[in-house]
Formats: sequence, C-alpha cells, structure tokens
Amino acid sequence: MLLSRLATVFAAVTLCRAQISEYFDEKLTVTPLKDGKVASTLAFTTLLKNASPRNVERLHDDDDSQHYTLFPLALGQILREYGVTEMHLTLNAGKWNYDSWGHPVEPGVGTGAELWAWIGDGALSTVDARWKGLRNALAGLFCSSLGALDELRTTSPTEVFQPEGSLPSSTPHQLRHASHPSEHVCTENLTPFVKLLPCKASAGLATLLNPHRLFDANWHGMGVHVLWHEDEGVEVRLTFQTVSDPLRNYQARKQDWSFESLFGRKVERACPAARSSIVEVSLPQDSPYNLSPEPTLAEKDVAWFDIQPASKPVDISMSYMPDFNPGLAARLAKPSTPLSVQRTLKESSQAHGQLSVVLKNHESYPIQAVYLETMPWIVQFYLHTLTATLDGHPYTSAFSNLSYIPAVPHSRPSTFHVLLSIPANSTLKVTMDVTKAFLRYTEHPPDAQRGWDLPPAIIAPLNLDTNRMYTPTLLVDLATPDFSMPYNVIIFTCTLLAFLFGNVFNLLTRKFVVVSLKPAPSSTIKED
Amino acid sequence: MDPQNDLAIPSGLRNPADLFFQKETIRRTIIASYWITILLALPLWWHTTSIERLPLPEARVYHQVDKPISIPVRLCLPQSNTDLSSRLQGALSARVPKGLEVVVESGNCGTEKDTYVVSPGPKKIVRGRHLTTPFDDLEGLTQTIVSLVAPSDVEQEKQTRVAQFASRYRLAFSLLNEDASSGNGVMSWDVQKGIHQQIQPLLDVLKPLHNFTIESQVQFYAPLEFDLRPTDSGFGLSYEDLTVFINSAEWTLSSSASNDPVLHFILFVPSASHTPLRIIDSKSSAFILPQWGGVSIYNTPSIWSTQQLSDRGLQRAFSTFSTQLSYTTWHSSSPEDTGLISQWQLDALIRRRMLETAKGTRDTLRSFIKLANQLENMPVREDVRNDIEGSLDALEKLYNSASTSLSQSFAYSAEAFNLASRAFFNPGMLALLYFPTEHKYAVYAPLFASGLVPLFVSALRELKAWKQQRAQSR
Repeated sequence: MLLSRLATVFAAVTLCRAQISEYFDEKLTVTPLKDGKVASTLAFTTLLKNASPRNVERLHDDDDSQHYTLFPLALGQILREYGVTEMHLTLNAGKWNYDSWGHPVEPGVGTGAELWAWIGDGALSTVDARWKGLRNALAGLFCSSLGALDELRTTSPTEVFQPEGSLPSSTPHQLRHASHPSEHVCTENLTPFVKLLPCKASAGLATLLNPHRLFDANWHGMGVHVLWHEDEGVEVRLTFQTVSDPLRNYQARKQDWSFESLFGRKVERACPAARSSIVEVSLPQDSPYNLSPEPTLAEKDVAWFDIQPASKPVDISMSYMPDFNPGLAARLAKPSTPLSVQRTLKESSQAHGQLSVVLKNHESYPIQAVYLETMPWIVQFYLHTLTATLDGHPYTSAFSNLSYIPAVPHSRPSTFHVLLSIPANSTLKVTMDVTKAFLRYTEHPPDAQRGWDLPPAIIAPLNLDTNRMYTPTLLVDLATPDFSMPYNVIIFTCTLLAFLFGNVFNLLTRKFVVVSLKPAPSSTIKED
Repeated sequence: MDPQNDLAIPSGLRNPADLFFQKETIRRTIIASYWITILLALPLWWHTTSIERLPLPEARVYHQVDKPISIPVRLCLPQSNTDLSSRLQGALSARVPKGLEVVVESGNCGTEKDTYVVSPGPKKIVRGRHLTTPFDDLEGLTQTIVSLVAPSDVEQEKQTRVAQFASRYRLAFSLLNEDASSGNGVMSWDVQKGIHQQIQPLLDVLKPLHNFTIESQVQFYAPLEFDLRPTDSGFGLSYEDLTVFINSAEWTLSSSASNDPVLHFILFVPSASHTPLRIIDSKSSAFILPQWGGVSIYNTPSIWSTQQLSDRGLQRAFSTFSTQLSYTTWHSSSPEDTGLISQWQLDALIRRRMLETAKGTRDTLRSFIKLANQLENMPVREDVRNDIEGSLDALEKLYNSASTSLSQSFAYSAEAFNLASRAFFNPGMLALLYFPTEHKYAVYAPLFASGLVPLFVSALRELKAWKQQRAQSR
C-alpha cells in the first residue's frame, strides 16, 4: 500500500520533470482567388515542447547547453542571446490587394521588412541594446539590411501588436516594432530561410520553394514567427506566401493550376523528420472543376491531402471546365473583405501635403477599427486639421481614443493611434494636413530624387474576427537640394574671397608714386 | 625708382608720398599684421583638424617586450642528497624549453603548494604532484621528468593542431546524415548522455584554463561536394578528399552570435548507397581538422531498424570526440596511462598556455605600437589606451607573481592577452584610415592659394626695399 503510493508519487515526480521534445509539421494551403490568381501559403512549424524562453534576469550568466534535433540552432542561439520571448519578421514584396484576394492566411503583409518583438525587461543590458543586437543578428542570418531598422523607424505600438503567444508573467516585457518599406526580397534571403528547416530543400513540402517561380509571382513574402505557448513550448513558424497568376503562363484562358505550373517542381519524397505533411486546397464554389489526385479527406469547401506516406512524386492539380471570365466573376461578387481601405498622400508643394484615408464598410453593421500610423519624422502631422467626412458630409463622432506620440526630428517616428467607428454601408474619409521636413545634406539617400517610402498604416478591426490589415506604402517627395552645391559653394567662396581679399589688400598697401609724363607731340610745333 | 624726388611738384598740389597713410612704416605694419594673424591662426587650425591620438606608453611597451619571462618549476627529492639534486638540476636546465626555470631541492621538502615531489620506487607511478620512479640512471630520470614537466617539445606538425588560446570556447556537436531518406537515417542521438560521460570529465579538468559553452544539432540532409571513390569493400576517402570534406556551403554548422571561437565535432553518417565509407590507408574512421575540430564517420549496420544512434555507437563516437578535443586544446603524449590527465600534465599545460599568451601579448602590443606610428591617420581613443595600459599592468603583475602562484599568474596572462587583442581589434580606429592627403590639399588650395600669393610678393618686396634702405643709410 505504502509502496504503491510511493510508486505513484515517484511516477508523478518523473512526469513533472518533463523532457523537451521536438515536433515538426508542414502545411501548404492553396486558395484559388476570384480574379483567377492562386494564393499559396507554406507554413513550417517546429515545436520545442516544454521549453521556455530564457530568464532575462540571468542573461549575463552562462546559458544552459542547447541541444536541438529539429529546432534551428542558429535561430535558437539568437533568441537566447538577446532574451527574446516573441518575434515576428516578415519580408514581403508587392502590394496585397485585399479587395480581390481577401484576407491572407498570415496577416503580416506589409511591403518591405517588418520586425516586431516582445523583449523581456530586467537584464543588465537595456531592451534597446538587445533590440539592436537582435536586428543585427537577424540581418546577418537572413542577409538583409535589417540593421537599418534603427531608432529612426522603431516605435512601440502595444495596443495593436499584442503578443500572439503568451509572455512569462514573472518579467515585464516591452514591444519594439520597426518597418522598412524599401527593403527588397531576393534569393539571398530565401537561402538562409531554407537552411533553418530540418529537411532543407531536399524533401517534403520545402522542395516547392523554387526561387525562380516564387520571386516571379505577383506577390510574395516570407515570414519567421517565434512564439511561446505556456502549456506547449516554444514554437517557430516559417512561412512563405505567394500569389501567382496561372493565366499568365497559359495559352488558353483557363485558370488551371498544378504544382508544376505554380512552383515548377513536384514533391519528390516525404520529409522523414516531419510529424505531418498536409496540403489543404480550398474548393471553388461556383464553377465545375476537377481535382487530382484524390484527396485524403474532402468536405464541401476544403480538401485535404496527406502526403506523408507518399510513395511516388506528388503533384496536385486542379483543372476547370469552362474558360475563365474575369469580368463577370469580379463584378458580381462583393469585395472579399468587410472593410476596404485606401490611403493617399496629396502633395501640393514641397513643404505641405494632405494625408487622406478612405475606409469603406461593406457590411450592414458598424465596424470599429483601430488605425495605427507610425510615420517617420520627415512627415509631421498637424493634428488640429484632423477631419472626417461620411459619404461627403462632415462627421464628428468618428474618432475616439486618440493617442499621439509626436515625432522627434532626426530621431524618433510619430505614433498616431485612433479608434474609428464606421457606420454600416458607408464611406468614411479621414484627412489630415502634413508638413514635410527639410533634410540635412547628409541624410539624403543615394537616389534622393526618388523620394522616401512611408511604412504602411495598420488597421485592426475590433468587432470582426479578422486580423490586422496593411495599406500599401506611400512615396513622399521631399525637397532635395542641388547635390552639386558643395562644388559650387567652394568655387563661389574662393572667388569671393580672392576678390574681397585682393581689393582690401590692394587698398591698404597701395603705393602712390608720381610719374612724369612726356609732353604730348601735338603740343610742340615741330619746325622743319 | 624715386621719380618724385627729381620732379618738381607744382604748387598747390601735395606730394603723394607725404600722405599719412603712405608712410613706409604703416605699410610694413599692415603687411606684418597680416602675417602675424596667419601665424596666430595656425595653431587653431592645427588643433581643430587633428585626429584624436592619445599618447601610447611606447617606452613601457618596449621595455616589457624585451623582458624575458621565466616560470619556476620546483622539484624536491626528499630521499636524496644534494649531489644528485644538483646534477639533476643541471641536466634538466639543459633540456627544458626557454621560459621555464627548474629548481631542484633535496632533503626536507617544504609545504609549498606547487612543489613536485620525486621519490624512488620500483614502478613509475604518478599521483597528484608526486612521482615515484626508479632512480636507475640520470638520463632516464631526466627523460621522465621532462616528459611530465614540459611535454610540448615534439613534432611541429602536432603543435599546429592546437587551437589558439581563448578564454571561452564553444563546442558544437553535429550529427550529419548525408541523406536521411535513403533508408539509414539516424534521426536522434542521446547527446547529453555522451557529453556527460565522455566530454564533461575533460572539461572539468580544463576548467582553470577555459570556459566552455556546449551546443548540438542534428542535420538530415548534408550532401558531400565531391564524388566518393569506390573501393572493393565500399567507398573510400583519400587524403585530398579529407581536406575538402567540410561542405560549409550546404551544411549549416554552428556559428555563434558572439565572438568566441567554435570547435566543431561532426559525426557523419553516409547515406545507404555510400555505406561503408572508410579512409583509405588508415584503420581509424575519424580525422582532425587543425584548429577547427574533428570529424568521425559512422557507418550504420546493414540492418537498421531503430532510428536512434545505438549506445555502442554513441560511446565510440564520443570517445573519439574526447580524443579530438584533447588534441585540439592541448597536445598530449604522456607515457603514463593512469587516469585522464594528471596534475603534472595540467600544470604543464597551464605553463605552456601562459608562455603562449605572454608571448602573444607582447607581440600584439609591439605590433600595435608599430602600426600606430606608421599610420598617422589612425585615431587612438581613450578606450584603446585604457586597454593597452590595462594589458601592460597585467603583464607587470604576471612578472611579479610568476614565481609564487601558477593559477594566479595564468589569470593575469589571460587577462593581458584578452585586453591586448581587444585594443588591437577595436573598430573605433578605422574612422579616418583611408582619408587621402590629396583631398586635403584640394580643398585648401582654391581657398588660400589666391590669397597667399600677394602676401608673399608684397612681403618680399618690402624686405628688399628695407635691405636697400639699410644699405644706403650706412
């Protein structure tokens, strides 16, 4: 009796000292869109079960040994070195068209590079120092210039970017968010991304990552997401989303797609390290289609394929019966999202402009949405000119909970955060006057006449179940000087200096002498 | 030259030479004041355009560099007479390398901590700092003691295997499958057990010397870059293949987020189509890459059911890693076999590292001074100078305490080495390194050249006139 009780206690104790185990899942989601394009999302999730983020108070002591089987060691080193609990990095290229394409599977679709992280506070080094270290370490890992996300672009919008996982309750955490819209994505970023996967590009769904076809797509973006779930462990999710156009490569006007036509490759063999490999295809509702091979599980609007036990190469394809008619489909259908946003910057002169945001509510109930703008200091808001019009008439009850952190010139961006309420089936237009800064000579980028990219604004609807939306980036044209001016200035100054100096010196040291003049020949009469 | 003296000025008009501002003295004062302003402004220009170069303690560095270091090694023969001890001292001093100074005492051994005791006995036994060996002949005794005290005088090739000194090493253990889906993939290994059993004892012994950070990973697809040679019993690697074995492009080996050097230990599992893989002309299936780490090849048995590395394979792999680690952190060729590493060997290693770091520090400081003198454009700031001074202070303390405590003096020499390296590789010194002097002249010339010419010409003219006047007035 006592022995059995002791045995259960002993078993409970051993079970409580849980072992760290690792699981790897991969998933591909393919969605045909209503304008003929195909959106595909590859998600590779590695779960480090029963692990927890590093205790930041002991950040300067020696760390425990890190032993990983599936979890990427390079990323694990970076996370533990800087005490980061949650991190999201996205590198996107293109403009996500919410009206035609709906909401993406992964919500972070802002153009360029976006990095935000929840970092624990309380170590000897400050959160900002570790944020800088994190940016530079990720820049080295992914071969992208994330080191440029410095204090000119870093803000802390805690209400919109809530942690997607859990944060340890023992230490306070701070948010750092930075966005760099002019960052380009290329193969150099994809190669280290693929190296973080257990099976790399040799087996499993990762063989579909063909850079030639991926970077040829209408929209493409990759993301690295690190979360901590309190009851599960540390999760790393690597995602790659594309929107490709099968109509571009096809002679006939049909929107058929297959792995071969989308990615240029088939899945040759399964990844032995993966716990599950699933392909999920959204089935079209309004036109007849043919899906091959047979799905493992099919419902009314979704079909699932389990490619883990694959014995021969897997190539999933969908073919349609009638030709594609873009006009009819697009015109008859409602916009794919309840809210449509359009943001423009009207620049009347090189010193002033007007920022205008038009939000359309297509639903029959009012929508409340948080509008967040992290504008660099080069464009400064005149907050007193913030006005709203609803379907052309002035509307005063649009704004509530306005919070504004003004910009510090040459240093910090401004954070503008307001809660908008848009009534049903109406258009809300928000305008605000802005002033454009005059930059110092050394702050201009090499291609100064192109202008500056402004990061996307973020709209987070509150009473919908959709995640945040990103507006496209804007291009602002600032006053650029004549860059040959230093040469002109030197020449001008030297000329002026020589002229003035010569005149003054001459005046001061001039010597007056009397010179005798020979009498003029006409005054004497020569007598011959 | 003075036509106005010859001319008669008509009445009613003034002689322009009498105007108050036409006096010689005033003109000379004006020209002189221009020149005095230029001379007074020169120090201001020099100060505002100079690079911050703090003076470095050059004399101290050169003085330290020339001082030789000598570490004493005290032996004590409790059961012998002074004659044997003096003969032994003579023989040992001829054999030990430079930098060690052997002192042999006899009779009553003091209770000093670092003294080694040698007593006669039938067999060679080493225990702690006590050696029991047959005292048959002086030559044999000398040989034994030298092999324990300074075992590093062996072939040059084995010297280059040892990694350069660093206070902290990262040990990265990787299990690489060439192709995990070819049927014989090793999916996991009990690396913590292997480390605990085989590696940790070695690390505990080396604790006074280095700190170690350990990490490990498993890779499932690690292809080779070259084709394997087929042999009669499988595949073989030649010596040239070993030099290009590491495929750094495809294999994601550990690269840390810090500056510490990494020692890699790789367990490579060839794919089922390339098994068994052996090294041609060699019985072992492991090799060392000098100063980088080691590789061990594991050929899976033909019946491969579980996907975990077997205990036997794990034990064999980690004992190989342990040997490779010992070769990379120090070179050992001790004839004794008792235990892992004896106190004699550890002390010999500490002494060797101490000499190496002291020499490294002196070399770094000397080349830093030479560099700073050669490159006029290199700024030397406060933190660099503090590091240099700190390194010199640590060297000073090392010299003072070399005869007292071995571990303390080793700590000083490691500190001196780290500070000197940090000063040498300080990134703040790169600021104006590539600023060419032609640019400086190109900016100054248009501004000042046109102004200086009339100043020079007028000054020369006045000087000539003054000399002529003086010659005339005599």
